Amino acid sequence: MLRYIFDGTFEGLLTCIYEAFYRRQSPDSICCWYQLQEDLISCCTEIRTDQEKADRVLKSIRSKISAKALDHAFHAYLSEIDDIGVWIYRYLKLGWKIGPSVDSCLWEDEVQMVQKAARKTEGECHRMLGLLRFRELQSGIFYAPMGPDHNIVSLLAPHFAKRLSDQPWMIHDVKRDIAAIYDRKDWTIALIRQKKALPLHGDELEFQRMWKQYFKSVAISSRRNLRLQKHFMPSRYWRYLVEKN
Amino acid sequence: MELKNKVGILADAAKYDVSCSSSGSSREGEKGSLGHAVPAGICHSWSDDGRCISLLKILMTNNCIYDCKYCVNRVSNDVPRVMLTPDELVYLTINFYRRNYIEGLFLSSGVFRSPDYTMELMIEAIKKLRYEYNFQGYIHLKAIPGCDRRLLTEAGMLADRMSVNIETPTSDSLKLLAPQKNKEALVGPMYFIKERILEERENRRIFKASPKFIPAGQSTQLIVGATPESDLRILTLSQGLYRRLQMKRVYYSAYMPVVFHPMLPAVEKPPLLREHRLYQADWLLRFYGFSAEELLDYDNPNLDSLIDPKSDWAVRNYHLFPVEINKAEYEMLLRVPGIGVKSAEKILRARRIRALDYDNLKKIGVVLKRARHFITCKGKFYGSTFREEYQLRQQLMPYQAAKKIRIEDGEQLSFFSQILPRSEEQSRFLVRAGEV
Repeated sequence: MLRYIFDGTFEGLLTCIYEAFYRRQSPDSICCWYQLQEDLISCCTEIRTDQEKADRVLKSIRSKISAKALDHAFHAYLSEIDDIGVWIYRYLKLGWKIGPSVDSCLWEDEVQMVQKAARKTEGECHRMLGLLRFRELQSGIFYAPMGPDHNIVSLLAPHFAKRLSDQPWMIHDVKRDIAAIYDRKDWTIALIRQKKALPLHGDELEFQRMWKQYFKSVAISSRRNLRLQKHFMPSRYWRYLVEKN
Repeated sequence: MELKNKVGILADAAKYDVSCSSSGSSREGEKGSLGHAVPAGICHSWSDDGRCISLLKILMTNNCIYDCKYCVNRVSNDVPRVMLTPDELVYLTINFYRRNYIEGLFLSSGVFRSPDYTMELMIEAIKKLRYEYNFQGYIHLKAIPGCDRRLLTEAGMLADRMSVNIETPTSDSLKLLAPQKNKEALVGPMYFIKERILEERENRRIFKASPKFIPAGQSTQLIVGATPESDLRILTLSQGLYRRLQMKRVYYSAYMPVVFHPMLPAVEKPPLLREHRLYQADWLLRFYGFSAEELLDYDNPNLDSLIDPKSDWAVRNYHLFPVEINKAEYEMLLRVPGIGVKSAEKILRARRIRALDYDNLKKIGVVLKRARHFITCKGKFYGSTFREEYQLRQQLMPYQAAKKIRIEDGEQLSFFSQILPRSEEQSRFLVRAGEV
């Protein structure tokens, strides 16, 4: 078993794909170092991330396969599902073989795996566009903590940069310790360690109370259906929801 | 009164308006303005009844001069009456929006003083939102029946969607339940809005910068189960609304007794299954190319409670099936029970590359539980065979319902039940088979 180990970035993954191609190897597993589990039969090769190599792969995906395929690969990578790296590699390999129509070959395992992972990320991203809740802090920054299954911070940020363009905000992925920070001009991704509760703005709790009141009043009691509610809004998201807390 | 209590009362009074969609409009935000609208719409929460919360659905006031029998806000009902000022409403909307609680505002109102006066109040509030606060989020505005056309035009320039509730499927029922409203007052604004949409669209073809008139179109709502109309009647009405008025959505709301009145039926539970079936049929009208007359006719004017409308249609028209998955046209694929728009598109894309067999279909994610009885893959049929129509129906029902029918059908043997002696001929056959 050949196993490639990379640093966990998307560029790192692309470098792995580059190396696999030019070393004429076909790795059975591609994983990042912090998820690595050593075993006796694997032969591990460490791949050093190289921006130039990654760019070449990126360009080649765009020109030889399709922009859509790049989206799929990137979103699948963000899903952080176990062993998705090697599936992305196989998917792209197939893509270079048959071109832009690779996304129609839905019966192939690699296409299915990658599209499924990408769909999961995109699905959660869309859901979070609605379920994210900002709280106004004392400093006037709007702060939104969340704990999503997939790494979606970078997909959420452009939406909110457009929507809430006149207020400073921060979207914090508590699980991964990263945050998107916006200062009324641009947003960036930063590593962040924030475990303490932040002091809230004076009016914040009043709005939370009003929202809770609204949430309660708008439900029709004779149609009560908690199962349906949970279906759309799984309980793992409740922790950061104002109305469910 | 505290704002929180007002919100409680006015949201409680507004909740029977079903529509909460925020789709169909793409308002681009710009730097420094607040908000934008996403064409697909976004749900922000789901309340305890499982319905999505996308917009801040609230009444301007629950004061009303009308006395519609089915309505909580009717003048003769004894409830606390409150009113939001335009400033309060703007304050709420902006602050909820900044916290990402909502996608925008759904503003409705009881009729206070006169339709025109109410409409003016509502317009004042939205004007403030759009112009003073530069708010580019989604706004759904209820048109008050009987208000001036000029006000409708003004409102349409500000809102993304407008709606007038048609309430009951026929004008007779309307006369009975809402004696102060008449059909013309309801349908009139609808026609007017449609004309204006077409007009503005034409204008935009010439002047790119001419403002959009309710870009997300208009919708309406009717109550199911309060009056004796059949499903056929309702669906024909919806079909007319979609075709003639270019309505974006018709919402159905299962009637539930919020007030008691001798003219209203005494129902204990809202007819939720009927509402569900109507929505299924509604989707067939809009996205699957069906017409109301195909789904129902005068002999069976109501939708089947056990199987969905599409399966029901397919069973009644079994002579059209099975269809070959690799050759059938898109329109026909859509008519196969279990295959929807997404699956049909997937099949089209995949079969361009190679002919699909049963396993391929399974793998690309087409749900075959019902579909297998109606298709062939490379000429091969994978469904079960049956002699009578009801046997196929049982296959298409939810498992529990089918099981119940099967038990009623045949006799369940118990240890003590008497088994009749076999007839002569049968036992002779069994002897030959070596079974006795």
